[in-house]
Amino acid sequence: MRVWALLFFLVLGVWAQEKPASPPPDLSPEVFAIARELRCPVCQGESAAESNSGVATEMRRIIAEMLQQGKTRDEIKAFFVERYGEWILYEPPKQGITLWVWLLPVLGLALLGLGLFAYFRPKKPLPPELLEEAERRLKEP
Amino acid sequence: MRFPAGNTLRSWLWLLVVLALGGLFYWGMQRNPKELPSVLAKERRPAPDFTLPVLSPYQEEWGKTFKLSDHLGGKPIVLNFWASWCYPACYEEAPVLEATWRRYRDRVLFLGINTQDKEGDALRFIEQFGLTFPQVFDPRGRVGVDYGMYGVPETFVIDREGRVVVRHAGTIDQATLERYLKEVLP
Repeated sequence: MRVWALLFFLVLGVWAQEKPASPPPDLSPEVFAIARELRCPVCQGESAAESNSGVATEMRRIIAEMLQQGKTRDEIKAFFVERYGEWILYEPPKQGITLWVWLLPVLGLALLGLGLFAYFRPKKPLPPELLEEAERRLKEP
Repeated sequence: MRFPAGNTLRSWLWLLVVLALGGLFYWGMQRNPKELPSVLAKERRPAPDFTLPVLSPYQEEWGKTFKLSDHLGGKPIVLNFWASWCYPACYEEAPVLEATWRRYRDRVLFLGINTQDKEGDALRFIEQFGLTFPQVFDPRGRVGVDYGMYGVPETFVIDREGRVVVRHAGTIDQATLERYLKEVLP
């Protein structure tokens, strides 16, 4: 019984996880979800959700305002693409020239697999006549 | 001894793949990662309109608010986004902008857009450089987003038809600014 109680308390620890960083209360999580897909223009490798720069803060405010106006996620993203170009999207769109960004790794892996397969492919056994001939020659003095 | 034809073909194919990858890599290395695209200038789009409050030293001449569309279609316009915290870039170009404005003020309109700044700091900056071209105040930086601005300082040149023809990121020097002006002046 005591073992069970101990186990119970140990298992309790599973819940003791850090909560995901919650957004400031003035903006809804939806705002941050959209901002996470947009680049912060003045940062290096940060999304508009993470950065505290003035532009990123303003972008989050614009997203919140547009959501309030009933705009959809795609409309909001289009708003920023219209101004900054596709560069502003964190994930390159899966069409046009940036489709290659998604396809090339798969192609590369396939090519690698093909190369490995070709390299390790079991060699075809030699034709029996040839083997016999070789053995015969070996036996010759 | 002769190689089977398939083998030669395959080695050529591999060479081609390696060369193509090398070429792609070389091309990528030649690209400037700091080169930032401007949708506005590339497509010569009409300048996005805005109405912003005029900073106090300029209200007598320009009124309380400045609406860009009231000034489009006449002279070319130079829009300069700046902030007092943008050191040293904004501090380097402020005298250049002021001097060029004084030379071209009858032919070109200059407008300073103070972005994401505090009014007191902005007024101190204006006084320090004795800026005489109109200055508007955009503490949120909303107009910057409409122009696809990355960071201060950035300068946009609008032609006489109200289209954005130039986006210059970073400090601007006299020669570059005058070259841009020649593009939009008759």
